[in-house]
Amino acid sequence: MKKKLISLLLAGVLAFGLIGCGVYEQDGAAAAAGAADSQSAQAEGGEETAAEETGSTAASEKVFRYSETQAPTSLDPIKANCIEDNEVGHMTQECLVRNTAGNVEPGIAESWETSADGLTYTFHLRDALWSDGEPITANDFVYGLRRLMNPETASPYAFIGEYVKNGAAVEAGEKSVEELGISAPDDKTVVIELENNTPYFLSLIGSSCQFCPQRQDVVEKYGADYAATADKSIYSGPFVMVSSENQQYVFKKNENYWNAKMIKLDGAVLNVIPDQSTALAMYESGELDFVKLPTEQVANYDDVDHEYMNGNEDFIYINEDCDNKILKNKNFRLALNYGIDRNTYITLATNGVYAPCNALVMPLVSGAETTYGEEYKVESFPMDGDNELAKQYLETAMKEEGISDPKDIKVEITTTDVEASKIIAEVVQELWTQSLGITVTVRQVTYADIYGSVFPNGDYEVGYGGWGPDYSDPYTYLELFKSDCAYNYSNYKNDAVDKLLEDSKSETDVKKRMDMLNSAEKMLLDDGALVPLQLRQQHYLLNEKITGMNFFFCSINTDWTYAEYAE
Amino acid sequence: MLKYVLKRVLAALITLFVLVSVVFFMVRVMPGEPFTSAKLTPAVAANMEKYYGFDKPLPVQYVQYIGKLLQGDFGYSMKYTNRTVNDIIGETFPFSADLGIRALVIAISFGLVLGIISALNRGNKIDFICVIIAIIGTSVPDFIMGAFLQYFFGIKWGLLPIAQYKGFEYTILPSVALAFFTLASVSRIMRSSMLEVVGQDYIKTAKAKGLSDLRIVGRHQIRNAIMPVITMLGPTVAAVLTGTFVIESIYAIPGMGKYYVESVSTNDYSMILGMTVFYGAFLIICNLIVDILYGIVDPRVRIATPVEDS
Repeated sequence: MKKKLISLLLAGVLAFGLIGCGVYEQDGAAAAAGAADSQSAQAEGGEETAAEETGSTAASEKVFRYSETQAPTSLDPIKANCIEDNEVGHMTQECLVRNTAGNVEPGIAESWETSADGLTYTFHLRDALWSDGEPITANDFVYGLRRLMNPETASPYAFIGEYVKNGAAVEAGEKSVEELGISAPDDKTVVIELENNTPYFLSLIGSSCQFCPQRQDVVEKYGADYAATADKSIYSGPFVMVSSENQQYVFKKNENYWNAKMIKLDGAVLNVIPDQSTALAMYESGELDFVKLPTEQVANYDDVDHEYMNGNEDFIYINEDCDNKILKNKNFRLALNYGIDRNTYITLATNGVYAPCNALVMPLVSGAETTYGEEYKVESFPMDGDNELAKQYLETAMKEEGISDPKDIKVEITTTDVEASKIIAEVVQELWTQSLGITVTVRQVTYADIYGSVFPNGDYEVGYGGWGPDYSDPYTYLELFKSDCAYNYSNYKNDAVDKLLEDSKSETDVKKRMDMLNSAEKMLLDDGALVPLQLRQQHYLLNEKITGMNFFFCSINTDWTYAEYAE
Repeated sequence: MLKYVLKRVLAALITLFVLVSVVFFMVRVMPGEPFTSAKLTPAVAANMEKYYGFDKPLPVQYVQYIGKLLQGDFGYSMKYTNRTVNDIIGETFPFSADLGIRALVIAISFGLVLGIISALNRGNKIDFICVIIAIIGTSVPDFIMGAFLQYFFGIKWGLLPIAQYKGFEYTILPSVALAFFTLASVSRIMRSSMLEVVGQDYIKTAKAKGLSDLRIVGRHQIRNAIMPVITMLGPTVAAVLTGTFVIESIYAIPGMGKYYVESVSTNDYSMILGMTVFYGAFLIICNLIVDILYGIVDPRVRIATPVEDS
């Protein structure tokens, strides 16, 4: 019997040691440094030997190692659908211009002109190559944008191209892709016509990888599987992706990149680590160079962490179309706004990690010359709230609506079942109950439900939501309250605001346009169209040896294009 | 025997078909849409619905889905827009299975040994220790066990890697963490089953015949007592091998678990269906094997009515 037991144990141990030796992946850093990819395969022989030599000393290679909790949803830049996707696109593709932390630099276009009415952009392209050595031509940009707007592509982010003339019509299948406002008079010139005057257009196409060039032959070769994996794509940017397997995305410097001399890193590895504590532990043990801090850990890293604004603003939508009549009352909406002590809110809801916010437009977006926040001081609800004023507004509202007891006023906050969103709704519920004495309830739905049907169908009273900007301009936030905007989830309609926003589209004087946008913001706040809550700040840890990182609050949060490793 | 096997296979196929059909229609009544983003415009949503064929009537979609399924095609994911569900399962399943097999080997070998030792030493200190281990294993949730092992062995003492799955040393912590629950269950079932068997007449007969204790335990007691463990293994193998969200997440293992859980919260219809069908088929096959094993090990089963799927 004992013999049997022992042999059983031995067999077990043996099996444990033997099985499944096939699944281990190559170490990412080593792969980035030494992998023989399509890039080096077509590079000259001399370089091949160099790569082989350095393959064994991977540690000396300058590889930036970072992590994300989510894998990119698509490696096809045209189908990029979130910040993570767009960041990958920004590293591996080059648009006409390159937006680095808000500064527009030349990209594949070395120069460009804008027509006086701001509607036509003419780009002159430089000599630049794809990662396989083929030249990048004006036609690649035309093909790329047409593919983005083609209904058959079904790009989830196609709306970003609606700024281009006929963009919305092509997207809706009403016009053919040939009618899209982009053309290539010759191989080195791209002309883009816009629907309206869009002063932020360059900034937008420099930070949205959906505007990158596309190679028709490669896209058609793979069809629906295009960019399913790293090898089924082709690259025009500072880095090529050599592997996308097993939740690890390996980048390598693109030797064919037109500005390769400015790129100091040899490569990078994006590790998908779903658990933030695990990522933090890996950073602590030196396995990662950059890690985002989970909000609950921020207090533990007071002296060593850094932060950037990621542009996300959270607020409470007030549905103007719902059955709850009291929400149509301006004084009541103002009471909701004055009834929140935003500093207390921040402490309770986010441990003080995020910044309280009492306006609609994020102050860091571009103004006429500097930032909007520096140029316009928006006076609105005090951060600490004002209970006296809140009660006054409430009483006026009650008189107007013929209500005698504030308890009779019932408001339901709709939020998602994500833990953080639930806490936010509960804190707001508590603050309103205390300051106004009204009856507030919380309703939870799934994330898929809130943006899938609750908000679009106006099936809520007030709802916790937010917005991340697509470009650095006040319009990206203000548009949410324009009556014909698809994202106007509060069904807000104010003719004066609509007119200002519509007129701003044809105003070519930058300062005048900015004044108009500022007036619109003031109107919205005076009307209590929303209850602003917070601006999100991302805390992070970065290896001290690394310099040259850029952070931007829209579309590309972390930009390691020009990162450098100190010796 | 052949008739028995054929019957089980037919039942398994019908179960699978019912599963596919029920899940296909059930995902459609889940609240929310598969394409959800604060920035989705109606035009874009319409284009995406057309791309995935949602503009067609539901029965037509069903027939098309079944048609593709018969060719082994699960379709394209709705979240990971240019990857097929087959591709994702193909990439992630080997990791989940690798981790699962390791965990199972640990769980079954140690669980059986623990259960047998425990039963043979019923009531004394050794039994007490084994029972304590079993209680800890079944009552400590895997996210605590995973984090605990990671903290001490990975972070604090630096003996083993913290996360990821890149070599043998990387597999130890997650497989032990994953094994613990099954190990405890196996040992508990084995212990009680052993104790049940010990009072049976054939054990008395064996004793009366003067067989040695070792022979009685080895030949008669364990062999009979192991039946409930085999029953339990079917679903356990399927569950452990097809990915465990928590352990895979803590140790950043590129397995199936994350995709399965995530697909439900993002309403990724094709992914939910693909993963469920894959998991369901796997579970059914495991149960089928258990049923057939049962028939081989215990002739009474195939003569009497077949055992129900557990």
